[in-house]
Amino acid sequence: MKATITTAVLGVSALMSSSALAQDQTLTINSFGGAYEAAHRECVITPFEEKTGATVNIVTAYSADAFAQLRAQANAPQFDVIHFSGGQEIVGAKEGLLAPIDPAGLSNAADIYDFAKSNLEGGEGPAYQIAPIGLLYNTETAPQKVASWKDLLDPAFAEHVVLTDISNGYGMLGFLMLNQVQGGDLDNIQPGLDAVTALLENGAIVVNTSPEIQQEFAQNDAWVASYASDYAYTLKKAGLPIAFVQGEEGTPASYITANLVAGRDNTELAMQFIDMEMSADAQACFAEALRYTPTNSKAELSEEAIADVVYGPEAVAGLLRFDPTVIEAKRQEWVDAWNRAIAR
Amino acid sequence: MSDRAENTLLVLPGLLLLALAFFVPIAQMLMLSISGENGPTLEHFARFLGDPYYLNVLWRTVRLSLIITIICAALGFPLAYIMAHVGPRTRLWLIVMVILPLMTSVVIRTFGWMVLLSRSGLLPEMLRSMGLVGRSYAIMQTELAIVIGMVQVLLPFMTLSILGVVTRIDTRLEEAARTMGCTFFAAVRTVVLPLAIPGIVAGSLLVFTLSASSFITPNLLGGSRIQVLAASIYRSVTQTLDWPFAAAQAVILFVGVLLILVPYARLARGGRNG
Amino acid sequence: MVRSISPLTRAATIVFVLLTGIFLLAPLIVVVGVSVSESQFIAFPPAGFSLRWYGEVLGSDAYLSAGFLSLQVALLVTVTATVIGGAAAIAIHRRGIPFADLLGTFFLSPLVLPTIIYAIGMLVLWSTLFGAVSMLTLWIGHTVVTLPYVVRTTLAVLSESDPFLEEAAQTMGAGRLQRLWLVVVPQCRPGLIAGAFFAFNISFDEAVLSLFLRKPGMTTLPVQIYGQLEFSPDPSVAAVSTIMIGITIFLILVIDRLLGVQKFASS
Repeated sequence: MKATITTAVLGVSALMSSSALAQDQTLTINSFGGAYEAAHRECVITPFEEKTGATVNIVTAYSADAFAQLRAQANAPQFDVIHFSGGQEIVGAKEGLLAPIDPAGLSNAADIYDFAKSNLEGGEGPAYQIAPIGLLYNTETAPQKVASWKDLLDPAFAEHVVLTDISNGYGMLGFLMLNQVQGGDLDNIQPGLDAVTALLENGAIVVNTSPEIQQEFAQNDAWVASYASDYAYTLKKAGLPIAFVQGEEGTPASYITANLVAGRDNTELAMQFIDMEMSADAQACFAEALRYTPTNSKAELSEEAIADVVYGPEAVAGLLRFDPTVIEAKRQEWVDAWNRAIAR
Repeated sequence: MSDRAENTLLVLPGLLLLALAFFVPIAQMLMLSISGENGPTLEHFARFLGDPYYLNVLWRTVRLSLIITIICAALGFPLAYIMAHVGPRTRLWLIVMVILPLMTSVVIRTFGWMVLLSRSGLLPEMLRSMGLVGRSYAIMQTELAIVIGMVQVLLPFMTLSILGVVTRIDTRLEEAARTMGCTFFAAVRTVVLPLAIPGIVAGSLLVFTLSASSFITPNLLGGSRIQVLAASIYRSVTQTLDWPFAAAQAVILFVGVLLILVPYARLARGGRNG
Repeated sequence: MVRSISPLTRAATIVFVLLTGIFLLAPLIVVVGVSVSESQFIAFPPAGFSLRWYGEVLGSDAYLSAGFLSLQVALLVTVTATVIGGAAAIAIHRRGIPFADLLGTFFLSPLVLPTIIYAIGMLVLWSTLFGAVSMLTLWIGHTVVTLPYVVRTTLAVLSESDPFLEEAAQTMGAGRLQRLWLVVVPQCRPGLIAGAFFAFNISFDEAVLSLFLRKPGMTTLPVQIYGQLEFSPDPSVAAVSTIMIGITIFLILVIDRLLGVQKFASS
């Protein structure tokens, strides 16, 4: 019975598959709430709804929770397009929860930087935003300028450093960078752990979420933290004298991906949505609103926006990407080691 | 209809609801705790129980829950007694005062504490100006913060449980004791307290189980450096995606709580009937 | 009663109540303070005075629909949890069924496990059996986790009640339904009311289950607040909370007027 209905639905939607006739269709996606979701609506969702006549249902959920949900509802997935910022697409593709994407089906695919679309056939969706990870510091209270990752360990900043737990995607990348700067690599995170332990002994604080970072800067006299450029902008807009600087040793990047969920029947519509997220206009809009770095080489940004993001193909190519497959494979081990290192 | 039939009818909806909508989903998850690549295995349990780090997490969870329960009982009993003996207007306001923390969103409430207890918050500032603590002292991200936050939100459960029982105690019993020469406190201790035990037990059971399985408040107030079991489980489910290990931890938590509660409940009930 | 205690004890009592009150309400006062702050941060003491956050919240579709949804679910859950839980508690108290003691503990079990385990388990089961989750799933899930409160508080009150009242009613010819409705239920009413209160609160503030068991497009208030806090923390979340505090006080006063919370403590 279910099979007959599914076939009928597929058949009917195949007949109506040209975009203009998507009137009664709905699309379910996830977004990350708050200002992100508002920008998402303005830059992608509303234009999409107007263009196709479809309705978009938004589920507010962070990558980790959204992925846990997807996994749990594997037998009856509710998402059509799912966005991840922490590399969950690697595991998702491997477990068959995400469907392969044919680049021919995305009109904007050609304009996307290559590294942002590296494994579409495997099911890992393209990145539509990049969040570069660097150093945030309070220009008014920090005793000296911050320029490199090693500066985090400078005793001049002791007791005023904020670290982010690796359960947070940005925190993970910041940690791996610190580890690399201290001489470690993806096979050996001990130097990083040692650095973190030393920092903690000198009064550093560990937080889990972005609002805690704001709290630390606004109320608790924090001077320096490693986090993403988009959040630096959020803090600046809120009136805090925070500057973002890319560390001399390099800048890791967090990829925010849009992925196609397997086992759903409106793949056509979902692909259109992902395509729209890849478009130069949508990405420029996001960059202006929240200072995320675009992955579309044709996105045009204003002067102020350019100053706050990593702009242009050379600059973007210079971003570090820690091999996400390795991160996923080792995550469990690292989380365990991290928890032990920071436990009081 | 017989008595037995009537009672069965009364308990049936609850029983069915729990059996189908709770036990089946839980059982399914808990089955994961013994699942391994090559069939049933106890490796997840061994991983937890054989590791001093995790055992410490378990011990901390139990220890904090006990402390929280004791403090709630110590505060809740006098509070309930007072509430039972004041005028209706005052009692209403006291009930409001006690319930209000419950009615605010847990995240907001915790943020309120964060503002008060962090390095530059009111409380450390006060202590600092009194010269009692150092420059970078903060109550945030300590076990004390967790206890404070949890007691605030669990006190109503204890207080209202006890209140319901205390109000049923015949005031003449207390008066009789006073007439026979007992001081106020002695009368309370020997007459009211024993009769209030069912309320205290009910409240303690609630408070202890809620403390042990609570995640949001300990996580926000204690920070990631102080892990409790529920936080570790949440991490395993959403972060490391290690569902079998999460399930094993859940089983250990479940068993641990039962081991403490069942004898306690039995003891309390036995003591009352004795 | 209070009149016959020494002034020292009386003073100590007042101090005790005051201190406890400050302890319980301090963060809430902070929240109210933050909600009228002019600045965009969550900082206390507040900088400036402004009601703009209330304007934002009350004019925000997202907040209003989330609040409405939470309210709907909480009301439904309160009814089902109170009825089902109350009935179960009565049966257990009477010891009219085998293993009554064990059942008492059984009904406490949803509290013992962290909600995340239940949430995932329920999601997996529901998806396998029925497909997409809906408000029904949320209703069931919330009822399950609030049931223990009702059962516990009702049992506690019943354990102090006079068992002979029911017998007396029976001797005087009252039928089963009459006995239940006119004797037993009034006996455990304080427990039912306390349980219902908890059920409402727990359901309204429940975040973990609501995160996993909802239909796309259905966001409850706690999830909305958490999302807002994560990405753009500003005093609007404090404004929402202050409104909720105001509603609680209002609700309690209303219930007092209608049912007489004084009766809650009548002996």
